[in-house]
Amino acid sequence: MARFLVSRLAGVVLILLLVCLFTFGVFFVLSPDPAVQICGKNCTPELIERIRDNLGLDEPLLTQFLTFVSGLFAGRTYGVGESATHCAAPCLGYSFQSSQPVWEMITDRLPVSVTVAVGAAVLWLLVGVVGGLVGALKRGTWWDRSAMVVALAGISIPNYVFALLLQYVLVVELEWLPFPQAVPFSEDPTRWFQNYLMPWIVLAFAYASVYARLTRANVIDTLEENYVRTARAKGLPGRLVIRRHALRPALTPVVTIFGMDFAGLLGGALITETVFGLNGVGKMTADSIARNDQPVIMGVTLLAAAFVVVGNVVVDLVYTALDPRVRVRSA
Amino acid sequence: MRAGALAAVAALALSACSGGGPDGGGGPGGGEVSYADTPATGGTVTLLQNADFSYLDPARGFDGGVNNFYRLVYRTLTTSAPGDSDDPSAVVPDLATDLGTPSEDGLSWTFTLKEGITFEDGQPITSADVRFGVSRSWDPELGIGSPWARQVIDAPEDYEGPYRSGPLETIETPDERTVVFHLKEPFPEFGSLVAQPNFVPFPEGSGAGDEFVGDIIASGPYTLDSYTPGSSIELVRNEAWDPETDDVRPAYPDRWNIVIGLDPATIDERLLAGQGADVNAFGLTIQPATLPRVQTPQLERRLLELPSVCLTYMGMNTTKEPFDDVRVRQAVNLAVDKAAVRTASGGTQLAELASTILPPTVGGHRDYDLYPSEGDAGDVEAARALLEEAGVGDGFTMTLDIRSQPKMQAQAEAIQQALQKIGVTVELNVIDVSSYYETIGTTALQHDAAITGWCPDWASSASTFLPPLFDGRTITEVGNSNLAQIDDEGINARIDEIRAMTDLAAANEQWGQLDEEIMELAPVVPLVFESSLALPGENLTGLHSSPGAASGGIDLVLVGLRDPERG
Repeated sequence: MARFLVSRLAGVVLILLLVCLFTFGVFFVLSPDPAVQICGKNCTPELIERIRDNLGLDEPLLTQFLTFVSGLFAGRTYGVGESATHCAAPCLGYSFQSSQPVWEMITDRLPVSVTVAVGAAVLWLLVGVVGGLVGALKRGTWWDRSAMVVALAGISIPNYVFALLLQYVLVVELEWLPFPQAVPFSEDPTRWFQNYLMPWIVLAFAYASVYARLTRANVIDTLEENYVRTARAKGLPGRLVIRRHALRPALTPVVTIFGMDFAGLLGGALITETVFGLNGVGKMTADSIARNDQPVIMGVTLLAAAFVVVGNVVVDLVYTALDPRVRVRSA
Repeated sequence: MRAGALAAVAALALSACSGGGPDGGGGPGGGEVSYADTPATGGTVTLLQNADFSYLDPARGFDGGVNNFYRLVYRTLTTSAPGDSDDPSAVVPDLATDLGTPSEDGLSWTFTLKEGITFEDGQPITSADVRFGVSRSWDPELGIGSPWARQVIDAPEDYEGPYRSGPLETIETPDERTVVFHLKEPFPEFGSLVAQPNFVPFPEGSGAGDEFVGDIIASGPYTLDSYTPGSSIELVRNEAWDPETDDVRPAYPDRWNIVIGLDPATIDERLLAGQGADVNAFGLTIQPATLPRVQTPQLERRLLELPSVCLTYMGMNTTKEPFDDVRVRQAVNLAVDKAAVRTASGGTQLAELASTILPPTVGGHRDYDLYPSEGDAGDVEAARALLEEAGVGDGFTMTLDIRSQPKMQAQAEAIQQALQKIGVTVELNVIDVSSYYETIGTTALQHDAAITGWCPDWASSASTFLPPLFDGRTITEVGNSNLAQIDDEGINARIDEIRAMTDLAAANEQWGQLDEEIMELAPVVPLVFESSLALPGENLTGLHSSPGAASGGIDLVLVGLRDPERG
C-alpha cells in the first residue's frame, strides 16, 4: 500500500512538471508578446523595452522557465530597491493585467468554485444516481422513458443556453429568484443560496444526465449477472439483492467518473460562472484567456491539473476500499 | 488613449469608445425620461459592469473606463469639464486655481494649488505631493499608464521614479502651494495634459511596490470601502473632501456600488427588468443584440443616447502597392458604401456616418466631405475613373486585417461588397481579438489595410488625434498607431506648426483645416462614429456624456438619484 502511494505521488509530481512545461511552452512561446499588449495605445519602443525588462521577458526562455519553477517552491522577488515586491512561495507570478499576485487571485476565488462544485455535485449525484436506478428498476416503463428523455436533453442542450433560459424563466418571467449577485454567506444566507441555486441546477443538469444513463446501464448489467440470479435464487428479498449485490458493483464506475468530474470542476466551471457572474476560478480563467493574461492562465492550468491528478489518486484509493478485487491485485 | 485600441478591456472599450456629446440628457421628444434633472443628495448608485477596471493606481491605468472611475476618487491639477457644462470637451481647473501659466519661452509651467484640498486622512495636499504623484510615472514598474508626462516633462535620462531615484528635480516646489514643471519643449496644451490620470497627487513615500494594487489614497469625493477584484468595488464618501474646493464633482450619492464580472447579457436583462433596487442601477452601454428588445414604448423612453468621441476607420498601408498611389486611396474612399457600413455597425441608432477624421465632439472638428456620393452608398463611376487614371483600371486584390468580432466582420463585408463593384477583391484576414492590435501595430505584419478605431486622450483639441495617426516621424516597428504609415513632409510640418501655437482656439481651427488636408491625401477611409445606448434605471438622473473624462460615456461624477429613498 505504501509503495503504491509513493509511486502514485511521484507520478503526480512528474505529471505536474510536464503540465508546467507544456503550458509554459504554449502560452509564453507561441502567444503574442505580452509587453506589446500591456503597452497598448500611445506605445513607444522605450516603454515596451521597459515592460519587457520588468517582467523578465528579455531573459532567455530557459531562465524564465526555471525562475518560474523555482518561484513555485522558493518564491521570487520582482524589481529592485524600495519598489521591489516579494512574491512568497508558491509564487505563480503577477497578473499582466491587474498586477495582482496570481496565487492570491486563485485563493480568493477558489471558495466560489468549490461552493459551485460541491453544491452541484450533491445535486447531480442525488438526481443522477436515483434517476438511473429508477430507470433500471422500472425498465421500459413511462418513468424510465421520461427520465431518459430528460437525460438526453441534459446532455445535448449546451450549458450556456440552458443557463440563460433558466435565468430568463426563473428570474425575469416568474420572478422566483433575484438576479444572481455575489453575497457572502455570513451576510445573507438566503440571498447566498438563491445566488448559487441556478449555477447548481445548470451544472447538475448536465452531469446528472450522464450519471443517470451510466447508473441505469450499469445496474441493468449487474442485475443480469449470475451472482445476482444466485442471490435471488437463495431467496434474498429483492430490496436486499439490489442494495447488497447489485448497487455496489454497479456504482464503482460512477465513483471513478465522479472523482474526475468533481476534481475538474474544482478548477472552475468556465461557462456557468461566466454566465451567472460568479467570481470563481472558472470566470477568471475565461477572462484571462480573453485578455491573454499568461501568468493567470498558467496558474489556473496548473491548479486544474493538480486537482485532476490528485483526484485520480483519491479515486484509486477509494476504489481499493470499494472493490476487494482491486485490493487483492495491488497488495 | 488605449481604451479604443486595447482588446484587453474590450467590454469597457466598447462603452469608452462610443458616445460623447454636449448633452447626454433625454432629448426634447415628449414622454422621454429626462436624465438631465439635478439629482437629490444621498442613496446608493449601482453600476453594473462586465470587466474589472484595469488598475486602481492612476500611474498604471489609462483607458476610457478607468479614467472615468478615477474622477470619483482622485483629483488632478486640471480635469475635463463636467459633462453638463457648456463646453464638455474643455479642460477646467481642479486642484489648481487655473489652467497654469507658461513662462515666456513656454518651457516651464507654473500651477498654484487651491486652499483646503486634502487627502482622505485630512493631510493637506501640497506641491510636493503633486510632484511625488507625477514622478511615479517614471518608475519602470508602475509607469505603464499615460505616457504624456514622460514625453513632455524634462527629466534626467536615467530617472526611474521617486522610489529608486528620489524626487524629480525638474519639477520645482518653491512653496507648499506652487508647482513648476520644466518641459523638454514648449507644449501650449500643458494645461490639458496635467488632467491625465498620472497627475494624481499622493503623499510622499506612499504607493511603493503593489500598495495601490488593492488600495487607494483618495483625494476626490469618494474613497474605497471595499474592493474584491473581479467582483465589486464599494465607495463611500471621503469625509475629508471639501466640496467648496471642487467645481467639477457635485457628488450626489452617499455610496457607489460597482458590481463587476456580470455577463453582458445578464446586465441588459437586469436593466430591462428594472426590478427592486435595480431602479438605481445602470450600465455604461447595452449590447447591440439587446436593441430589438428595447423597441417598446416603456423601454424606449428610458434609452439614453451617448454620441461618439471615437472614429472607426479603415487605414490603407501607403507603403504597399497600389496604395502608394493617392488616386487609388481616393478611389477607395469614393467607392466605400458608408451607409452599408453604418447598417453593419448597428444602424442609425448606433452609428453616425463619418466623412471627417475628427468626431464632432472633439475640439477642432469641422464638417466637410471630400468624397461624397448619392445616399452615401459609394460613387462607383468616379472611383473607377480614378483607378483607370492610376493604371489599375482592371482592379486588384487586397488583404484587409480585421478583428474576429461580429460587428467588425460585418463592417468589413460591407466594404468588401462595395469594392467588388470597382473590381477590387478584398480578402479578409481575421485576427484573434486578443492579438489584433499587436499584429496591426507591428509594421512588418501589417497587410494592405486594417479596420480599427481611435479615441483622443483629451477632447479639447485634436492634438492627441491627428498626430498619432498621421505624423510620419512616429512610425515604429511595434506598437505603431500610424496605420497608413504615411510620412508626408507637408503633414509633419503642419503638425509642428499647429502644436507650437499658443492660442488654443486658433490652433483648433488649424487642426480642423489639417483634417481636410490629410483627407486630400486619403490615407484612411473614415467609416463611422459609433455611438452607444444605455438603459439606466428609472430612478437615476444626472446622466451626461463626457467626451473628455469618459470618451463620450456617462460622466460618473454627475450621476445621482431622483429619490434616494427608493429601491
